[in-house]
Amino acid sequence: MTIGVIADSKTRTQTKSMPVKEKSKRISGQQLAGYIFISPWLLGFLLLTLWPIAQSFYLSFTEYSLLEDPVWTGTDNYVNIFTDDATFTKSLSVTFMFVLFSVPLKLFFSLMVAIALNKNIKGMNLYRTAIYFPSLIGGSIAVAALWRNMFGLDGYVNQVLAWFGIEGVGWISNPDTSLGTLILLNTWQFGSTMVIFLAGLKQVPQELYESASVDGAGKVRKFISITLPMLSPVMFFNLVLGIIGSFQTFTSAFIITKGGPINSTYMYAMFLYEKAFKHYQMGYASALAWILLSIVALLTLINFAASRYWVFYESDGGKTK
Amino acid sequence: MNTKWSKGFGALMLSTLLVTSACSGGGGGGNSPDNATNKPASGNVGAAEGGSTTLSIMWWGTDARHEATKKALDIYTKQNPSVTFKPEFMAWDAYWQKLPTLAASKTITDVLQMDAAFIQEYVSRGQLEDLSDIDLSGIVDPGVIENLKIDGKLYGIPLSQNAQGLAFNKVELEQFGIPLPHKDWTYDEFFQWARDARAKLPEGKYPIGDTTSWDGFNYYQTSMGKPPIMSDGGKTFTLDKELFMKFYGTYEEFRKAKIVPPAEKAAAFLENDPQADPMASGVLMTRGATTGSVSALEQLMPGKVGVVNLPVGPAGGGWAQSTIFLSVSANSKNKDEAKKFVKWFIEDKEAGTALGLTRGIPINPDVYASLEATLEPKDKIGKEIYDLSLDKALPFYSPAAGFSEWVDTYRKEMEAVTFAQQSIEDAFNKIDKMGKELAEKAAG
Repeated sequence: MTIGVIADSKTRTQTKSMPVKEKSKRISGQQLAGYIFISPWLLGFLLLTLWPIAQSFYLSFTEYSLLEDPVWTGTDNYVNIFTDDATFTKSLSVTFMFVLFSVPLKLFFSLMVAIALNKNIKGMNLYRTAIYFPSLIGGSIAVAALWRNMFGLDGYVNQVLAWFGIEGVGWISNPDTSLGTLILLNTWQFGSTMVIFLAGLKQVPQELYESASVDGAGKVRKFISITLPMLSPVMFFNLVLGIIGSFQTFTSAFIITKGGPINSTYMYAMFLYEKAFKHYQMGYASALAWILLSIVALLTLINFAASRYWVFYESDGGKTK
Repeated sequence: MNTKWSKGFGALMLSTLLVTSACSGGGGGGNSPDNATNKPASGNVGAAEGGSTTLSIMWWGTDARHEATKKALDIYTKQNPSVTFKPEFMAWDAYWQKLPTLAASKTITDVLQMDAAFIQEYVSRGQLEDLSDIDLSGIVDPGVIENLKIDGKLYGIPLSQNAQGLAFNKVELEQFGIPLPHKDWTYDEFFQWARDARAKLPEGKYPIGDTTSWDGFNYYQTSMGKPPIMSDGGKTFTLDKELFMKFYGTYEEFRKAKIVPPAEKAAAFLENDPQADPMASGVLMTRGATTGSVSALEQLMPGKVGVVNLPVGPAGGGWAQSTIFLSVSANSKNKDEAKKFVKWFIEDKEAGTALGLTRGIPINPDVYASLEATLEPKDKIGKEIYDLSLDKALPFYSPAAGFSEWVDTYRKEMEAVTFAQQSIEDAFNKIDKMGKELAEKAAG
């Protein structure tokens, strides 16, 4: 592909100076070398990524239990999903709720932490390390298990509430609060988003603040008119990643709530997983995966389309296009 | 290139890559140890080089079971130096995720552990070898063998006796002056016992737990002489509405009277977790337990656990039979050696000593007799459940092939009832409808 194109264009420029016969030999040798150099990646991509993707697309039109060979069923899976599957609707709405709340919350929270950590205070590196450190074990099972203990009926949260005479609820065992608990967990896992914000903050030229100060701008003014616009590309990046990541939330729902109680935290990714590996409906699960991919791709496209109205690229001559 | 275009395309590629890469993570989870048991096999599995054979074997279970089984495999290799093993072992969940993928690629291990809940599915897909010609006389009761046959053929060598009963906190029940449950109590006696116990228990403690899973009701329906919910390989579906309304109506009354804990509390229970186990945490006075699992509970509350069989009806109640087997893959290249090994596994005394009760009460009476003297209380209590259950026992009913999703739906619909989000009748209609559709599909 890219390599091939480069090789082609190169040979075109060389054609004049070379005898025809020898030329074709050298080209293929050159091309071959190129392909050999990228072959580890290329093979991995073709066999371990592209081929399974293609297979999953094929399987999404079949009924496949793993134990028996796939049976072609046309668009049955898709039709069933959209017309006759209450769990699909439920898990999709749970996931949308999750994304709707957890993404903005996480962006806001990690930005606030990043701003706090951008101050010039003695020992700031220590604070940064300490605050980022838990993120190293971020989305792991250990954190999910910890969350379960904290928000259990006899968990630490309720114990603390009890000091103030408040009788807590079973945060994760109550269908009204379980999803909120998972959103909270996702927000708390702000580490990597925060680091990206922090890097973005460091990029904001100090001159801008200085000249704004000279013009008499206050702190809020500087934040709104300098920090936010200068940070918008980073914000955009985090937003896109956050949405994609949230749509695939799996671990917390799987470990903490098992999707319950009564499907209140039955995330789309967990629904897909259970269809495939618990109920052995690989075809159906593949169709679900392609629907998820379409939704995420569509949202990402919308995001990019909307970005020109609010994302500010300095390199574009300082205007939001 | 048009920048708008390239950005849009970039967005699409970005989302594609992120979605696919995130989905490709994980997997694995099992142990495939290259340890002492697993002597370096020369050549591939199945290649009998110079008369030596490597049997691949896979099982699920706890660490204790893993260690004991590895020891037994060593013993077999000592007795038969030409046979070595390639063991793989993991927890229940990982096992049943891995096995279908192996089945799909026709690479199931030579020998594998099987469960009563899944054996029909694997037999119907032609994945398991017929083991009827293995002579088990003098090792396993012929009646037991007959019961396990599927279409007249034996596909799994039974390993142990198992039974379902009810464990109770005998220390606290005595402390509050509540009579202990007695063998062969009826459902009416069971419900009345719960009502009486409520009056004597302090707040925050409950006599019995709520029920949302299909098997809880299936026990009730079958004990009343009705057919099991799924029969005939899933082609017949029977959910008795009258019994259903009565059974769950009783539990609804119990929720109001605080005879069972509120749904929010029930949803937080986690069996065999020191803090969250319904009984070990001191919240419930009773909970279900099997011969194979009750030792874990006894270890959480030593000396406090008593057992009784499940409540019975006119037709009997509960079950007492083998639920774990060793099977041989239909695609194995070492069938003869594998068959020899599975027989040895339950016959050999030395192996029996190494394995102990890690898979329940050994099916071979001779092996059990040689173990009996050294048994600890936690082991004996499992045997007690079996002995109490045996004479009234009904068959063990497992979900029919293709009903795994229905099982989940049942639990979720009944959970919605316990959270007062839908009526019992609505739940019935949904569960019944889905079950009948599946039965229709199975009947083809």
